[in-house]
Formats: sequence, C-alpha cells, structure tokens
Amino acid sequence: MSELKSGTFSIEELENVQITIGSIVGAIEKAAEEEGDVGPTAKPGISDLRDWDYKLLEKYNPVYTPMCDQCCYCTFGTCDLTGNKEGACGINMEGHNAREFMLRVITGAAAHSGHGRHLLHHLIDLYGKDYPLKVGPSNIIAPNVQLVTGKKPETLGDLDDALDYVEEQLVQLLATVHMGQEGEAIDFESKALHGGMLDHVGMEVSDIAQISCLDMPKAKENTSLAEIGMGTIDPEKPVLLVIGHNVAGVTNIIDYMEEHNLSDKIELCGLCCTALDMTRYRTEGGDVPKAKVVGTLAKELKMIRSGVPDVIVVDEQCVRADVLREARKLMMPVITTNDKIMYGLPNRSNDDVEDIINDLKEGKQDGALILDFEKLGEVAPRLAQEMSKIRKEKGVTALPTDEEFKELTSRCVHCLACELDCPTNLPISDSMTSAAEGNLSPFEELHDKCIGCGRCEQACPKDIPILNVIEKAAQKVIREEKGKVRVGRGQISDPEIREEGVNLVMGTTPGIVALVGCSNHPEGTKDLYRIGDEMLKRNYIVIVSGCTAMDIGMYKNEDGETLYERYPARFLKGNLINVGSCVSNSHITGAAIKVAAIFAQRNVAGNYEEIADYILNRVGAVGVAWGAYSQKAASIGTGCNRLGIPVIVGPHGSKYRRALIGKPYDEEKWKVYDARDGSEISTPAAPEYLLTSAETVEELMPMLAKSCIRPSDNNMGRMIKLTHYIELSEKYLGIMPDDWYKFVRTETDLPLARREELLKILEKEHGWEIDWNKKKILSGPTTKSDVSAQPTNIKRLCKEAC
Amino acid sequence: MAEDFPFEISPMFEGERIRKNDMYVELAGPKSVGFELVRASEMDNVEDGKFTLIGPDISEMEEGGRYPFAMIYKIAGELVEEDLESIVERRNHDFQNYVQGLMHLNQRYDVWVRISKEAVGKGMTSFESIAKAIMMLFKNELPFIEKVEAIYITDKDEIEKRLDEAKEIYKSRDDRTRNLHDEDVDTFYGCTLCQSFAPSNVCVITPDRVSLCGAINWFDGRAAAKVDPEGPQFAIPKGDVIDDMSGEYTGVNEIAKTLSSGEYDRIKLHSFFEYPHTSCGCFEVVGFYIPEVDGIGWVDRDFPGTAPNGLPFSTMAGQTGGGKQVVGFLGIGINYFRSPKFIQADGGWNRVVWMPKNLKDRVISDIPADIVDKIATEEDVSDLESLKTFLNEKNHPVVDRWESEEEEIIEEVAEKTTATTMPQMQSTMPMNFPTMPQMTGEGGGVKIILKNAKVSVDKIIIKKND
Repeated sequence: MSELKSGTFSIEELENVQITIGSIVGAIEKAAEEEGDVGPTAKPGISDLRDWDYKLLEKYNPVYTPMCDQCCYCTFGTCDLTGNKEGACGINMEGHNAREFMLRVITGAAAHSGHGRHLLHHLIDLYGKDYPLKVGPSNIIAPNVQLVTGKKPETLGDLDDALDYVEEQLVQLLATVHMGQEGEAIDFESKALHGGMLDHVGMEVSDIAQISCLDMPKAKENTSLAEIGMGTIDPEKPVLLVIGHNVAGVTNIIDYMEEHNLSDKIELCGLCCTALDMTRYRTEGGDVPKAKVVGTLAKELKMIRSGVPDVIVVDEQCVRADVLREARKLMMPVITTNDKIMYGLPNRSNDDVEDIINDLKEGKQDGALILDFEKLGEVAPRLAQEMSKIRKEKGVTALPTDEEFKELTSRCVHCLACELDCPTNLPISDSMTSAAEGNLSPFEELHDKCIGCGRCEQACPKDIPILNVIEKAAQKVIREEKGKVRVGRGQISDPEIREEGVNLVMGTTPGIVALVGCSNHPEGTKDLYRIGDEMLKRNYIVIVSGCTAMDIGMYKNEDGETLYERYPARFLKGNLINVGSCVSNSHITGAAIKVAAIFAQRNVAGNYEEIADYILNRVGAVGVAWGAYSQKAASIGTGCNRLGIPVIVGPHGSKYRRALIGKPYDEEKWKVYDARDGSEISTPAAPEYLLTSAETVEELMPMLAKSCIRPSDNNMGRMIKLTHYIELSEKYLGIMPDDWYKFVRTETDLPLARREELLKILEKEHGWEIDWNKKKILSGPTTKSDVSAQPTNIKRLCKEAC
Repeated sequence: MAEDFPFEISPMFEGERIRKNDMYVELAGPKSVGFELVRASEMDNVEDGKFTLIGPDISEMEEGGRYPFAMIYKIAGELVEEDLESIVERRNHDFQNYVQGLMHLNQRYDVWVRISKEAVGKGMTSFESIAKAIMMLFKNELPFIEKVEAIYITDKDEIEKRLDEAKEIYKSRDDRTRNLHDEDVDTFYGCTLCQSFAPSNVCVITPDRVSLCGAINWFDGRAAAKVDPEGPQFAIPKGDVIDDMSGEYTGVNEIAKTLSSGEYDRIKLHSFFEYPHTSCGCFEVVGFYIPEVDGIGWVDRDFPGTAPNGLPFSTMAGQTGGGKQVVGFLGIGINYFRSPKFIQADGGWNRVVWMPKNLKDRVISDIPADIVDKIATEEDVSDLESLKTFLNEKNHPVVDRWESEEEEIIEEVAEKTTATTMPQMQSTMPMNFPTMPQMTGEGGGVKIILKNAKVSVDKIIIKKND
C-alpha cells in the first residue's frame, strides 16, 4: 500500500466515497526529511540558537536603562536592586531588567500568536484544513514559518502545526519569568531573541491565513487607496465603529451590510489594525475598500469622545481598557467579540438577535458579548441604525459647548500637573491660556501630537476634561483630517525581489527602511512624512505597516498630497509600500529571508542561523519604530534583531529598558570569517547596533543611511550608501559624520562628486597615502575591498572548517 | 568639488522630474533638435577642462522657451579608445541627472533636457557650470579619461550641420556592436558585483552574451576593467577554445573555478544542459526543459499564469540561481534572446517550444523566421498534451527528435520483447494532490462496497518498526 497523506481523497472505484484524514502524527517530520534540505535547527528549542544569540550579544552588548529599580514579583519583595544589590531570590538589576524585557517580548508575541490562533480556528472552521494557502506568485509561501519550523506549509492545516510549536515555546519562555528560574541576564537576552523570532512566525501564520481565505491582496502592487481620518466619517449616517486587530468577526458585518444593501447607509469605520484589515477584505481584485479608517490607537479615546459612533464593536489588542466606561456615558452600546476582551458584559452569543438588539437599544445593558459571528454580523449594523435615531432624538452631545469651553479653559490654574503626566510633555497649560483668550491654534497644533491617552485628565486637580477641551478646540482641524492609506499588499513576491535584485546589488536602491511601530511620534504624523519623503527621494524602499501605515497617510504636503499619492507602490527603489496590519510585519522579515533564498540559493528550512548571518552581513535593511509603546513593538523589533536586522526606536522607545549597542572602536569585535577559507577578515562596524534610540528626526536621518551599510557591499553600493550618509549628516546635523572614513575601502567607495575633496581629507586628517596621479588610495583603510569575500560569523560555514 | 558649483550634485536628484510649470527652459526634446556625443581624440587635440558654447547661454534664453541643444565631449588618455565612447556617453545621462534642477531624458539624438526655474534662481545661469560638473564627474568615475573638453551648442544651424555626422558615428558604433562576436575578441570580461548577494555567482560577459542582469555588456566590462583592473569587472583572457559551439574556453573555466571558490570548474557559455552559465537571482526569464517534448520553454517573471508543465515562474525560478549550476533550468536576461549564439549548443531557437505571448512579442524580431510560428504561447496551448499536438501540427524541429527517440525505444522493446505496452514518457510534474493508494483486497472473504459513505480518520499514528 502506498503512503497515506492527510487530506480528502476520493476513491475511484467506490462511488461517492470520500475519506478524510485529519493529521498524521510524524508526517511533517517525515515530509521534511523527504524534502531533504532541512537545516540543523528545525523547530528550535530555547537553547538551540543560543550560540547564535551569544555571537550577536558579544558584538552588540545589552545596555539597560531601568524604568524601575525594584522587583516585586514575589512576596519576599519588594526588593531594592540599586547599588548592585541582589533581591531575595538572588536576582540582580541586570538580570531582572533582561527578564522584564523578555516578558515584554513574549507578551507581544503571545498577542500576535493568540490572534493567529483565534483566526486560524475560525478560518479552518469555515474553509477546512485542506484549504490551500494563497499568497501571490511566490515559491516561498511562508518564509518565517519555513525558516523556523523547517516545514513549508501548503494548507491552513499546516499552519496549525507551526502555531503549536510557537505556543509550546512561549510557555517554556513564560516559565522562566517565575522566581527561581533563569539567573543571568545574557540568557534572558537569548530568550528574548527567541521570543522575537517566535513572534514573526505567529504574525506570519495570522496574516497568510487571512490573506488566503479573505480575498485580501496577494503581493499586489499599487493597491487602491482607502480613506483615513476622523474628517472622513459622515456623522449624519449611523456610525458603526470597530476597534482592535482581529478582522474575523468584522467580515460578517461587512457581508451582512452588502447583502442587505446597507453599505451606503451605514458608516462603517475602524480604529487600529482591524481597520486596516477591513480595507484589505475582498479587495484582491482591486475593489474599493469596504470601510473607512479612523486612525490609530491615538485616536481611540478622541473618536469615542467625539460622540460620533453609535455602536462600538471591539475584538482584541490595543483596545483601551475604558472603552465600555467611556461609551456608556455617551449611550454607545459596546459589543465585545473575542475571549481576550469581554469587559464583564453578559454573554449573548446564544440569544435571539431581536432580543439582543432590543435590550441594547433600550439601554437594559451597556453592551453584550457576542462570540457568534453570524449574529454579530446582523446585530451590529442593525443596532447602529437604531441607535443613530435614538441618540439623535435624545440629543446626545459629547463635546463641551462654546460657553462650557470658555469656562473650562479659564478654570485651569496652570499647576502643570497635566504636562508632567503627559507622556510627551505637551504644552497644555499655555494652550489653555491661549484658548481662554480665543486663540485656538496652540491646541490645534497640540492635537496632532497628542496620543489621546487621557492621563492629563487623571492628573488635573480641577477636574477639567482636558481631552475634550483639546478636541473641541481642534474641531476645525479634525474636520479636515482626511488622509489616504494604501490598502495593505501582503507579502513581497519572489518575482518582485528578483526584479529589484539588480538595484540592490548596484546600490541604486541604497537600502530598505521599514517604518513600523506605534503612533506616539514626538512631533506627530509630520515626523513620518519627513522621514519617508527624504528616504524615498533618495531611492530607498520604504515599507510601512500597522499604525505607521495609517499615520504616514495622515500628513499632506502643500498640494494636499500624502506620500501614498506621491510615490508608487511596487517593491522597487523609491517606492512606498504598505504590507498591511501589525501581523503583516512578518512580511518585512520574510522579504529579507527571501533575498537569501533567491540570490544565494540558501536553504531556508530550519536554517535560521545561516540565514540570519547572511542578512546581517549582506542585506541593507533597517527597522524604525519611531513611535513605539506596545509590547508587540518590542517583540517585532527583537525578532528583526535575531535575524540580523537593526532597529532604531524613537525617544519613547528607550523605555523598553534596554538597547543592543556595538563598540565600533573595538576592532577585534568586528572581525569575521571569510567563508572561502575560514580566515579572519576585518569589517566595518556595520550595522553598528541592533537596537538603539534616536532623539530627533534630525539625528535619525543619517543613522538610517548608516544602518543600511553592510560588510558585503560592493563598491558601487558602498559609494551610494556613503553618499547618503554624508549628505544626510550634513543636511540635518550640519557636520560630516566623524566615522565616514571607516567605511572607505578603496577610492571607488567615495562619493563620486566629492572624490577629490574627500581624498584630500583622508590624506591630511587621517594620514592615508594617496597616489594623486591615479587618484588611488595606496594605504590607510582598515578593511579591504573584496567583493568575493564571504563574511560570516559562523565557523562551520567556512570551507576549511569542514 | 561640489561647493564650486551653484547647484548640488547628488544621486538623490536622479529621480527628479521637472514639470512644465517648474521649467525655466526646455532643451532639445521631441519638439526640437539635439544630440549628445562623446569622441575619443588624440591627447594633443583636447584641452583639458575647456568649455565652448556655440549659441545663446541660459542667461540669454527666454523663460519658458524651447531651444535646440547638443553636447559634445572630447576625451583623451592613454587608454581611451573609440570602443569606450558609448560607455562614457551613457554616463552623461546619469551625471546630468545628479545635478539638482536638471532633468535629462533619453540618449543620442533623442536627448531631452529641462532646467528648473528654481535652479536658475539659485545661480544656474550658464552652461559652463554644468559642463564643468559633468567633466569633473567623468574624470572621477572614469580615471582613464586624462583630458576632457566640452562643446555645447544651442545654435540650431550649427546643430543641424553636425547632426548627420553624429548619426554616422552612432551607426558605425551599432554596426561594430552587431558584428562583434565571441570569436572576434581575445578577452572576455567577468563581473562579480552581485557576489555581494550571490557569493558564488560569476558573470562572464562576451560580445555575444550580456550580463545576466542586462546592465553590463562587453563594452561596459572593457571600460570598467580599464578603470580598475582589480575591480569587480575584470578581463578574462579567453585562452584556448575547447568547444566553439557550446562556448567553452580554458580561460573562462579557470576563472570560474577561482571565483566560485571551487563550486564549479566548467562553464559553457551557450549551453542549456551542460555546465550552463550560473545566475544570481535577478534573471528576467527562466528556461525550463520539458522532457515530454524534449524542448525548452521560457517564462518571464511578469507572466502570471503557469507554463504548460503546470508550474509558474516563481516555482521554476526557485530551482535555480544563487550561483549554482542547475541542469534543466537556466536563468537569463531578455537580451540573451538577441544573441546569435543563443543556446546554440542545444539547437538554439530550434529547441524553443513555448514562451508567454508578451515575451515572444518582445523578442519576435530576433526569432528566426522559419521557427517563429512554431513556438507556442499560452494562447495556443494550455498543457503538455495540447503543446504536443501544437508542435506536431506545426512540424516544429523538436518533433524530429521524438521520432528518432521513439524509434530507438521501439527497437529496444522489440529486442527485449518483455514490455507489452509502449513506455509512457515520464511526467515530472509534482503532484499537488496525493494520489489515493490502491486498495486491493488480499485473499477472499467478504467484499464490502461503500456507497455515499464518508470515512473520517482523526489521527493516524505511524510508528517505526524497530
């Protein structure tokens, strides 16, 4: 008998007989074996990639910036860890902070993977385990899954297996947070890196499952533009607001609205990634997005306080804990739809739709838990229509009237308590003064930078609803908040990477800048516009996702255009692409993995260390989490780090308590092997850090160019990268960077237009020998130019080593 | 030095577009005349750094006006030769675009230049500064240029007078390129630029084979090797001819061994099956052997569908690349279709059986007339069976190969007389769906017939038999 495989089979001789085999234990390992090329670390446990982590941590040392110098995990505590003291269990400050960081990472990873698990269960329920994965014209369907688990998934059911692995590992990691487990910081660091890696698997599972089943764009270029901003929402219509990250239940709402011709009659809009995924739902063929995006988490409280929504549906992640409390005040019923957020509401999943609608509309309950998406699909839009009438009749208003506004702004005693508590220390007090005098512009300006957290109100001794004041003052600006966001495209396909290969090699694409993270940008959405515009003009590929994808579409130039309208959206130099929601971040690491597979024909399956080593040395990509506050941002960044991609966080990012910083002056640390013969070669400190922070956009700009320099650059690539590094430093900081010469290996690495000038500096200030007749460097560089050299950190990959 | 010019010079201005409203003047272009030309000259005939303008300067031009425009650069140096002219000339386009406020489109007598109002406002009032900047960049990038002199012309009569001469030169250059073949030179060029991503890939560039990425031809290689003999492009002495037809040379084999770190030691430049040229990964087209018809199909990365063998571009492309020699798949640049030696070791065009329509149309003028209609596209065939029929109907040259093979097989069969049926040609298509195991009941007993039954197995545990 030939071999059994999972799936549904028909037997020809037997009429209408179908045999379904769910799963075969041991089949995956067997299949992987048969496929042959599986690297040494398929489904690695915590210790399996420890050597690689140690290599990274040896080069990039953890630097801790504790936010809290105590540990209060157990009842022996609270323990003071300052002054090199140890806690009751023996843990020290370093270890505890590394543990705290790891906890952030695995919390973030669990959020994505939990999301993936829910979505996968749901989609398998609807489409079956055999449903094929469809992500676009790629041979490498799931680069992260394949890299980590060693198995190429082909069906929804295969993703189950990947997620099983992630969950098991997350439990192992969480266990080490308990007192009396790991004691050394370095191993907590290694575990954090492990968690980051798992996160990218969990995210990839989530996104490719929904891309495959929900007709989302599949590695599609130039997807359509969706509307974004509070100003795009028509408050005259019934407004149904959804908040969260998991689009599963929302698809039922969209379907119901279409089937009942309600799409034009109800304003369906969303906050956070659910909103982004709503715009991706059934737009594979380039259809018009079926919902509007309000914005990021920063707009959550503001949107509710505006009083515009009639019904709120929440799912999971980045949903404020006070949504129900806030909504209750404004007669907005809240429907929770996911185990992760239930707000103490009664479970109405098994109740009659009419009963639920009646109870909510009569205000018998503030909201309901509905886990049955069929019912949710009907209840939410119908309730929105009912509530819109009721709320209009009752004249529910949210924001202060003009008189109230005057009174509130005059009530302020300028104690500055709010400013002290504001995460971005915004000038609230002065704006109050101006507003009281009738000048609203300071508040209008403040509005864009305000992350809408509401902490100011908690601090105010005079009980001023500061957020309402800001929102009232900024009404004019809010009405104009009408941006565009490119519908998330999903993965970057293999053919796109092949096409762009020549630019990456020649340096005409100097690098890839991934603008990711959350929405607490120090200077508002303008920051993102500036960063994106500058790098796009310089032909970098700029990739955005999640909150950043939204915020970058909120800022317009003088012509009223967003960056999405100004730059095309292919995976090509000078293009701006949006991969999608938070879980789509896995496609950014996925693209880097594909580069290794495509151009170097490296085996991906179960071969983490080799691929990460390749990326670290060759792929000029950098992640920027300019606003970063969620634990998910920490796990995404850490997953990039283990894979050899450096990440820069904005000023708030330093609150993650730790950075990974190299010592460029310690030349020994930058020696690597040449895989051709195992000899040691010197490389520049590139990338110089795996995780660091920048205080201002000005400081960030040259760092971006520098972060794309890699040891393997050929001279054309290095010349262009160095040109941008020097130019950006001069443009934004007014100085030549002090380390530019360290990246020069030969005269052909020098920026073309300034070759002579720079050769003179090299001779005069650095004592290099120059042959002026031939304009050649005779001696000086510490690193040699040899494009055929094969830098690697892994001895076993060297020819002579075997 | 950049500071000397009243404008900035940076690759970041390359993509700059100057729209009509922002334009101060338009030079040459579709509604006017002009050209650009680089000439190799004797050392004595070139005065280094000299700039001559014939006709009005920018400052004398009317805002919003359109003027004819020609640029002539005379270059000299010990290593300068006529063959390098076109290489230098092409850089004029890149370098002019590095200049902020200057837009340069097209080449030769199609050049089209615009200068922005902003640039003129900032001081770009004379062509001299532009010419000086370009000359500086030429010398920096291509140090074999020891002397360079520029002549810009904005006078219509003067341009028209010189245009015919320029056209002559372009034509003779094109003839030279077209008539130059592998056998006419004793030096090929190697390129290792993409080793930064594809560590063991070596591109061998010959007159009949451009680099795989399409960016570097034999003349480019020659120029680059002159600039920096130890750089990423370097001369490969051809050595002895091992096989003319497949393009195997001792010099190439030696270099292949060194630069691939011993990964492979033979390259046949114009072969599909044996020791094919390697590729990095950015190839535009992948060729694939179709054993069922003993022919070769080609699919390009823009083709969204599947080839007759049921596979899309990405799957087949995934089989090759990364500097590895893979038999049965070959990545190439579109330009290689234009080579007269196109896979000549394996029958050249006579072996090609399938291409996507768009790709075929792009290279149609290079396909020999007697074969062009015999190459199927997705419009003609959808699978192997219909491909076979198509080739048969059109009497494609590969059909002859089948007959001879079949004859051999028949003979064999006749000799052995063991097989009762004709051996089926093996399908190499991976099966996406598992085939159902044949359930043949052993022994007698009860025979159960299931109708409309559904058997579900939740889990099957397979254990090794120790």
